[in-house]
Amino acid sequence: MVEIALGTALAAIGAGVAIGFAGLGSGLGQGIAAAGSVGAVAEDNDMFARGIIFTALPETQAIYGFLIAILLLVFSGLLGGGKGLDVTSGLVAVGVGASIGFAGLGSGMGQGIAAASSVGAVVEDNDMFARGIIFTALPETQAIYGFLIAILLMVFGGILG
Amino acid sequence: MADELTAILTQFGIPNEIFLAIIVIVLLVVGAVVVIIVSRPVLDIYPYLLPNAKIRARKGRLFDTKEFSEIIEADDHKEITNYLRGFPDYAKHLDDHSIEKSLDIQLGETYELLSKIAPDDVGKVFTVLSKKSDIANIKSLIASIEANLSKDETIDLLIPVGSLYPTCEQLVDSNTIEDIVAGLDGTEYSSILEDALREYNENGMILPLESALDKYFLENLLSASSVPSDDNIRILHSYIGLQVDVANLKVIIRSKVDGLKYDSISPHIISNGYQIKEWKLKDLMESENVTSIVNGLEGTDYSSVLNEALGTYNETGSASVFEKALDEYIVTYATSLSLKNPLGIGPIIGYINKKEKEIKNLKIIVRAKRENNLEIADIQEMLI
Repeated sequence: MVEIALGTALAAIGAGVAIGFAGLGSGLGQGIAAAGSVGAVAEDNDMFARGIIFTALPETQAIYGFLIAILLLVFSGLLGGGKGLDVTSGLVAVGVGASIGFAGLGSGMGQGIAAASSVGAVVEDNDMFARGIIFTALPETQAIYGFLIAILLMVFGGILG
Repeated sequence: MADELTAILTQFGIPNEIFLAIIVIVLLVVGAVVVIIVSRPVLDIYPYLLPNAKIRARKGRLFDTKEFSEIIEADDHKEITNYLRGFPDYAKHLDDHSIEKSLDIQLGETYELLSKIAPDDVGKVFTVLSKKSDIANIKSLIASIEANLSKDETIDLLIPVGSLYPTCEQLVDSNTIEDIVAGLDGTEYSSILEDALREYNENGMILPLESALDKYFLENLLSASSVPSDDNIRILHSYIGLQVDVANLKVIIRSKVDGLKYDSISPHIISNGYQIKEWKLKDLMESENVTSIVNGLEGTDYSSVLNEALGTYNETGSASVFEKALDEYIVTYATSLSLKNPLGIGPIIGYINKKEKEIKNLKIIVRAKRENNLEIADIQEMLI
């Protein structure tokens, strides 16, 4: 069995939290948006492309979580064979994961709900597309905050560099 | 810090594996709490996503003000028929049926669609609503006996929508109202009509039969939404309750205009309304005249609506001003309800309300063009 340092093991938990919760939010959000889009496409075939756009928007939270998880795995030594992390950096890594994980969860769900509503508005009135995209993009900011803080924690917490 | 943490863990005799397990458990508990908290609103929203998207697509196909103006400006009802052929929802029935019947079919199909796609928590209400076509068909059968219509004329009155349509189609050969009631044996309407049949046999008027059907329909509708388990049902209940109150008010006002007394009115009233409860209804039915009814409604939402129409009534003496005012109030109220829960029942209420309004207004325009050839301004005045 491979010996893993406590700090590295904590970073692995951080990576799991990052992609786990961000993916959960993203998945729920996309599911919500997809359910609305399917209903719209069932009534109006021309809605397919716009439905796909709205459904794709909550994907970004999972991408952020995935990126952070990969960075944690690489820089904690789990991937790439680098030296392991000490316990302090390991705890920072858990914070990194929680930062993007929970921010991605809320952001993904919010974006999904906004996307489903926007699909409904667009299928009712075509002119609502641009405004729908703007409203749907707004909940993205929370995920961006989480992503930025995660990067800052990694840089100044001794994980990156 | 790492050394301090390691020292603490060693001091308490906690191995690294246990420390990791504690961190994992804490994160799992926090995660589970977060998921439960955030999933509750999602679970409320989720059943409405697909129906709402379908409904909003149909709402987008309803006529806007410009299209209605074009319809009103049509020279005659044939031009309206041709105009409606440009809209698939209406066009599919216009080749086989008259314009009025096509509109009724469209509305019946809308109720059926809603009963199929409505989420389970409100599904019962829309199942009851979809029986509106069955009730209309039974009324048509009864009216055809009263008017001595031929088989073809009676079939022409029936709306080919609803589970009862095949039965109604077979009953067009009936010679008496007793035959119709007997033919409906085994359906939910049989016992309702049997009770009203005695009254019909005594005075020869079909009004008790029609009234019994309307009353049964509205009571069922109200009871289907009477357990306010969540916001969606509460909003739907207030919409249906409003319709029940308005139906009661229309009967009471019309009866008072015709000079009828309490005993003649009460059988046609739904005893437990929404805002207007049983004791209030009794007071209203015992009122001397229409002005007393309007005064008696003080404190309810209907007071200001009917007060505004009272002046016109005093000039014209026609109860239709109150009916129009109440119909317009339903539209306004339903519009406000439709905005209350945009991710729940709101869009569905908004759509039913707008669809019913569209069909009613189209029928008004068609009738005005066919029978009266009224001026555009006069037609606009009649619209809801």
